[in-house]
Amino acid sequence: MKVRLIVRRWKQGWTRPRYDVFDVEADPEESVLDLIERVSLSTDRTLVFEHACHHGACGACGMIINGVERLACVTKVGEAARKGLLLVEPLRGFEVISDLAVDKSRMFSKYPAETQTLEPVAASLEKLYDCVECGVCYSACPIANTYGEYLGPSVLALAYHRALSDGVVPGSVAGSGGVWACHAAFDCSEKCPVGFKPGEKIMKLRRLLLGGRVKVS
Amino acid sequence: MTAVSKHVVVIGGGVTGAATAYDLSLRGFRVTLLERGSIGAGTSGRTHGLLHSGCRYVADTEVARECYLENQTLRRIAPFLFEKNGGLFVAITEDDLAYKDFFLKKCGEAGIPVEEVEPAVALKMEPNLNPKLKAAVLVPDGTFDPLKVILSFLASAKKYGAVVKPYNEVVGFRVEGGEVRAVRVLDKVSLREYELEADFFVNATGAWANKVASLAGLHVPVKPSPGVMVALDGRIGNRVFNRLNKPGDGDIIIHQRGTSVIGTTSWIVEDPDGVSIPKEHVELMIKRGSEIAPVVSRMRVKAVYVSSRPLVGQAAQTGREVSRSFAIIDHSREGVGNMLSIIGGKFVTARLMAEKMGDAVCERLGVSVPSRTAELPLAPYWLYFS
Repeated sequence: MKVRLIVRRWKQGWTRPRYDVFDVEADPEESVLDLIERVSLSTDRTLVFEHACHHGACGACGMIINGVERLACVTKVGEAARKGLLLVEPLRGFEVISDLAVDKSRMFSKYPAETQTLEPVAASLEKLYDCVECGVCYSACPIANTYGEYLGPSVLALAYHRALSDGVVPGSVAGSGGVWACHAAFDCSEKCPVGFKPGEKIMKLRRLLLGGRVKVS
Repeated sequence: MTAVSKHVVVIGGGVTGAATAYDLSLRGFRVTLLERGSIGAGTSGRTHGLLHSGCRYVADTEVARECYLENQTLRRIAPFLFEKNGGLFVAITEDDLAYKDFFLKKCGEAGIPVEEVEPAVALKMEPNLNPKLKAAVLVPDGTFDPLKVILSFLASAKKYGAVVKPYNEVVGFRVEGGEVRAVRVLDKVSLREYELEADFFVNATGAWANKVASLAGLHVPVKPSPGVMVALDGRIGNRVFNRLNKPGDGDIIIHQRGTSVIGTTSWIVEDPDGVSIPKEHVELMIKRGSEIAPVVSRMRVKAVYVSSRPLVGQAAQTGREVSRSFAIIDHSREGVGNMLSIIGGKFVTARLMAEKMGDAVCERLGVSVPSRTAELPLAPYWLYFS
């Protein structure tokens, strides 16, 4: 199929972004990420975008595709294109590094200092949390977009898991930038590419806090 | 001369480059890492994420032992990065079963602790395995999210002063008097080209190593060898599923986070950029994967992807015969004394590769500081962003 790929471009020093158009031949079954990578290799090597695993496990390639936050690696060109048009833009809620790449330090800097990223599944088994840390929920969240102090959906959802296992959450989670800042729009859960349900987990964490079943450190 | 006064440029932001940047900065070198795309955007980020027990390579005892020891080292320095659930090698056919005694003997020789379990026990552990399985062996495999491992090496490198520059592509070398003086770099964030001088240069671009070296008129005997992987929309097990036989196409299913990935195939290409996915490879993965776990044929495919191993080129034809171990290429034979390239290896042996590269750089620069990457804990990946 013929696809008109429109990419929001921005480079350091530019006063405003611009939109570049690439007319390309694409396989409807291929991913939007593979298409962007091909354009970067064949047409414009300065196209900046983030990607790593290409199968929805690492969370690097979150972007806005035709207005919706998606992981580009698990979004098929044929399903996402509208009348042959594909508009790709960087996630909202983060500072743009260049083109489609954003600085996710807002999310990762809120992680606790100690290293706990595995959850026990059964007594003898362990697994990484399903959250792929892509930042899609920050981009989708009306609060994260307007309130810089907000901890953000994925960080609060991870705090909920910590609360269940440890019975305690950091003071910031119970503070004004924590669970009480959420307006329960649930856009995070709707857009989450792995069904981690941050919105529901924030609500559950509120109930744990209100019921005094979780301590605040 | 102390290490601190020497500037080393590492080219390549995959796991080998990241581990090398960490090894060198820990030894006190001033390190700059350059990556043309985002971190892990080449081969490393696209690996299937298997923390090898070494059992897959038991035909070569040395490679298998090296793999197992690195597996243990990584578990020690960064336990938070790995799902350490182990793996199962399962025999489905009589041919698989005939391989079992050889397999168990070689695991013993390599010093890898394995344990044969009754088929019924294996099926209880992993109900999605083929109910007709004839034998099962538990091995110390694990799984990981490749990007987070690379970022942890880089967070650790940054802690010791390394400068990490993604989206900075090496587009040329300035070679004078038998040495590389500087690299010319295209910064894609600011659209600026600049020169970066250094005392020493490490080419850790893997499957791209020859493309990069050729910019300096040098040659690296790397054979880019792509493999196709098929990610399923769901997770069908906890322990890694391996086919108990010689390594072949579609003989492994790896579970990580919410997905299971079937791997892989192997062929040789000239250029690792723009490798297309042969449709018949995808069908083969699903067919072979279904032999290990019949549920595969009923699952939705979430993604199909391909990544190119940086195999060390010898007289190999198909890629499988090429040595899986790594090689450091010395460019002084070609008239450039301060640049080394590193190819081969596996994701799991990256720390060891970096240690050997660090040793080689120290020897060249007359510095005597040992590697410490096997002793110190890795910084968590989220500190890369701080």
